[in-house]
Amino acid sequence: MNLGEVLRIVGALVSWTAAAMLPCVPFAAQEALLGPWLWAIGVTAGVGGGLWLLMPRPVSINPREGIVIVGLGWVVIVLAGSLPFVFTGVTDSFPAALFESVSGFTTTGATVFEQIEPLPRSILLWRSISHWIGGMGIIVLGVAILPYLGVGGAQLFRAEVPGITADRLTPRIAQTARLLWVVYALLSVVLAFVYLALGMTPFDAINHAMSALATGGFSTRTASLAAFSPAIQWVTALFMFMAGVNFTLHYQVLTGRWKAWFLDPEWRWYFSSMVGVAVVVFVAVALDAGDWSLTTMRHAVFNVAAVHSTTGFATADFARWPSVAQVLLLGLMFVGAMGGSTGGGFKMVRAAVVAQHTRGEIRKVLHPKAIVVTRLGRIPLRSDVVLNVLAFLGMYVATHALGTVVLAALGSDLLTATSAALAAMSSIGPGLADVGPAAHYGHLGPAAQVVLSVLMLLGRLEFYTLLVLLMPGTWSRGGGHR
Amino acid sequence: MRVIVVGAGEVGYHVADRLAKERHDVVVVDVEAHRLEYVQSHIDVAVVEGSGASPAVLERAGLKEAGLLLAVTSVDEVNLVSCMTAQQRPGLVRVARVSNPDFYEERARVQPELFGVDLLINPERELALEAFRLLQSTAATDVAVFAGGAVQLIGLMVTEAAPIAGRSLAAIGADEVGRQLLTVAITRDGATIVPTGATEIRAGDHIYIVAAAREIPHALELAGHELSELRRVMLAGGSVETYYLAQLLQQHGVNAVAIVEDRTRAHELAEKLDRTLVLNGTVTDLELLELEGVGGMDAFVSLTDSDETNIISSLVARHAGAKQVITLVNRSDYVTLARHLGLDAAVSPRLSAANAILRYVRRGSVTRVATLKDTEAEAMSFTVAGTSPLVGVPLAEVKLAEGVIVGAIVRGRSVIVPRGRDALRAGDTAIVFALPGAVERVVQLFPS
Repeated sequence: MNLGEVLRIVGALVSWTAAAMLPCVPFAAQEALLGPWLWAIGVTAGVGGGLWLLMPRPVSINPREGIVIVGLGWVVIVLAGSLPFVFTGVTDSFPAALFESVSGFTTTGATVFEQIEPLPRSILLWRSISHWIGGMGIIVLGVAILPYLGVGGAQLFRAEVPGITADRLTPRIAQTARLLWVVYALLSVVLAFVYLALGMTPFDAINHAMSALATGGFSTRTASLAAFSPAIQWVTALFMFMAGVNFTLHYQVLTGRWKAWFLDPEWRWYFSSMVGVAVVVFVAVALDAGDWSLTTMRHAVFNVAAVHSTTGFATADFARWPSVAQVLLLGLMFVGAMGGSTGGGFKMVRAAVVAQHTRGEIRKVLHPKAIVVTRLGRIPLRSDVVLNVLAFLGMYVATHALGTVVLAALGSDLLTATSAALAAMSSIGPGLADVGPAAHYGHLGPAAQVVLSVLMLLGRLEFYTLLVLLMPGTWSRGGGHR
Repeated sequence: MRVIVVGAGEVGYHVADRLAKERHDVVVVDVEAHRLEYVQSHIDVAVVEGSGASPAVLERAGLKEAGLLLAVTSVDEVNLVSCMTAQQRPGLVRVARVSNPDFYEERARVQPELFGVDLLINPERELALEAFRLLQSTAATDVAVFAGGAVQLIGLMVTEAAPIAGRSLAAIGADEVGRQLLTVAITRDGATIVPTGATEIRAGDHIYIVAAAREIPHALELAGHELSELRRVMLAGGSVETYYLAQLLQQHGVNAVAIVEDRTRAHELAEKLDRTLVLNGTVTDLELLELEGVGGMDAFVSLTDSDETNIISSLVARHAGAKQVITLVNRSDYVTLARHLGLDAAVSPRLSAANAILRYVRRGSVTRVATLKDTEAEAMSFTVAGTSPLVGVPLAEVKLAEGVIVGAIVRGRSVIVPRGRDALRAGDTAIVFALPGAVERVVQLFPS
């Protein structure tokens, strides 16, 4: 483990974060916040640039160093990202600022602010930018741009991109990372223009486009997407769905293999569960309210898409929906979006693997000598992949249980605690009860905010990447294969 | 004709034997000297030791005079390279055996022309196809198809309850149903006879019937067999044949259960066959067979590499109550033994491969050949040329050789079961059944 080389790359990533703050400067100038913003940028760039200049140039990166770069990088980046909130004085609590920053970079979209509109525009833009670079992954961006990450890049890529496998579109990982970012940027620009055409202001359009494609959830309005027209909500529902799809599929579709979506087994699971749950929720809500209108259907579809893709926009307070709808949404919060998407959660592909594996185990009871192969679509999975998924399931459930217990100990009721922990781990944003779409996380207190911040990071980096930082063996000099 | 057979294994030996008996000059090439010794001591052929992929070896085997190269080793790559090596020789017909499913994927099959191959044969797949056709017509012992599937030749055991038992062919032919079928051969007490109108069919006979494909169910009924639908099939053994047959069954929506003894192979098959239940166990384990409901199976097919295991497991399955049992048997003396044990339907990889190759050897006007297991008799399909001495003459007046019978005529879209007054026309497809001694004469009657 060569700490110097690791820190140099972390320094590069932090410098990128400083650069990402620059678009906020013009707004800060208009709002008389130029001083605080320059401090934030200066500190971030100073730390990042300092590490970059002082540490030795890496020769090559081994797998362990790759994981440490991603884990450590994320921790330092979210700390840097909280500086604007602290320096501009929008909150006087550091845990709240950290929560907001983590919520941004992990594309969770949970906020500590009760009212959004009074916030300075530079802060609103920063929240959306943190979503956008966190969505496709700042390290994937690094792999795409920094040439010397070429070889170890595959490790970094795998450590940051969620899902069970990292699909390569091209033989070179840097090229793949670049293509994914291009697709991501392209879809964001398209959505921004659609928003403009549907009557949004340019500022709202850019913020919501970045938030939607990253499956984030931060809005420029307290009422979230409910503040906009039905047409805008329908379009947003569609793009949230798209953002929850594996971006390598989007690339294939954009390059002419337009059946790629339908041929992908995970996509079929994702699409079916999206449609299925939307129908049930629509019926449940319509029965409850006695209103079978298109408006009810829009709310059902929008909020199911928002939760399933782990975006967390809202057009209705689903914490007040009939309990069958709430339970289904809790289920979707757990499952989350597709692997390789910008969304979070357990991931559709893992849910599919667990379901298929369970089916096989039932089959073994009937046929004790059967050789049962777990498949995804028609493709057989290696047994170590299946075991990895099962271990991940255990990790997810255990972490969620622990998070629920700690939040309950800190004073939340059961539904608030369990849904908040889940919404944080799966990067949804709003939960149920006290943290529902109509509420916020500001009243939870600093301890709960720190706990939720950790849960968000664990969920976004899928545990292992962050947990290896806590293993003493990771930091030993002799280890690794150098 | 000079024929070079590369590979003296099961398939190579059998094909060389057949061709030598038909008076072809056969040279067998193999890397293993002991196998060549065995070949030379059993059949009248020349042998050359060396790799069939080597130009020098093929030269020594007389490539210059050869008209046919049969590359049938068990290694596909050697077979393909052998054909490539012989590509320069004009007028040479090159046949390569390709058994590996990887080369035979439905979407990405090896392109024969890239290797200078005129005919790719896959004995394992041929065998699976044959077994599958047998499964489709439940009680059949043999099935061969002609004229693109319009005409079938089917072998059946006549049961005690058969409506045709004890009746003469003339009497059967007078029936409404019987008119559509023609019995072309009867095997009784080990001897094959080509019947005349006066021949009487008895219970216990093994009869071969030619008919339009859609009339085949009637043939089964007349021989006293019940018709049943194929829903569940159990396959014993993890051979390549199992893979191909399971795939065919999957494609036709039939539930297949495969029992594979080797654990690694079982895993491999389970991964490749997504709708087949693969079990890891011994194929002769009665407890396992019963647990998996062998008695309720519509069919049981044993396809392991060992003849003895296949016969035993088939007997076990028959005893447990499987409706139809098909057994893979390599050794020809076991085919008769299997029949004595009550295992009517035996399939042989050697015969499957030989059929595929012989079809090609007598290319002229012969479009398809099927060899029947019990007998050495053959069914051949000819395209009738205008120069044939048979054109326009009623069949009753034609002097066909002893042991030859015209089983069916395909004219346009209709299938005619010929009677004495029918005559062949140019352009017809004639399916002719002949005893071995008469094959040469038949080929002369149908010039290309």
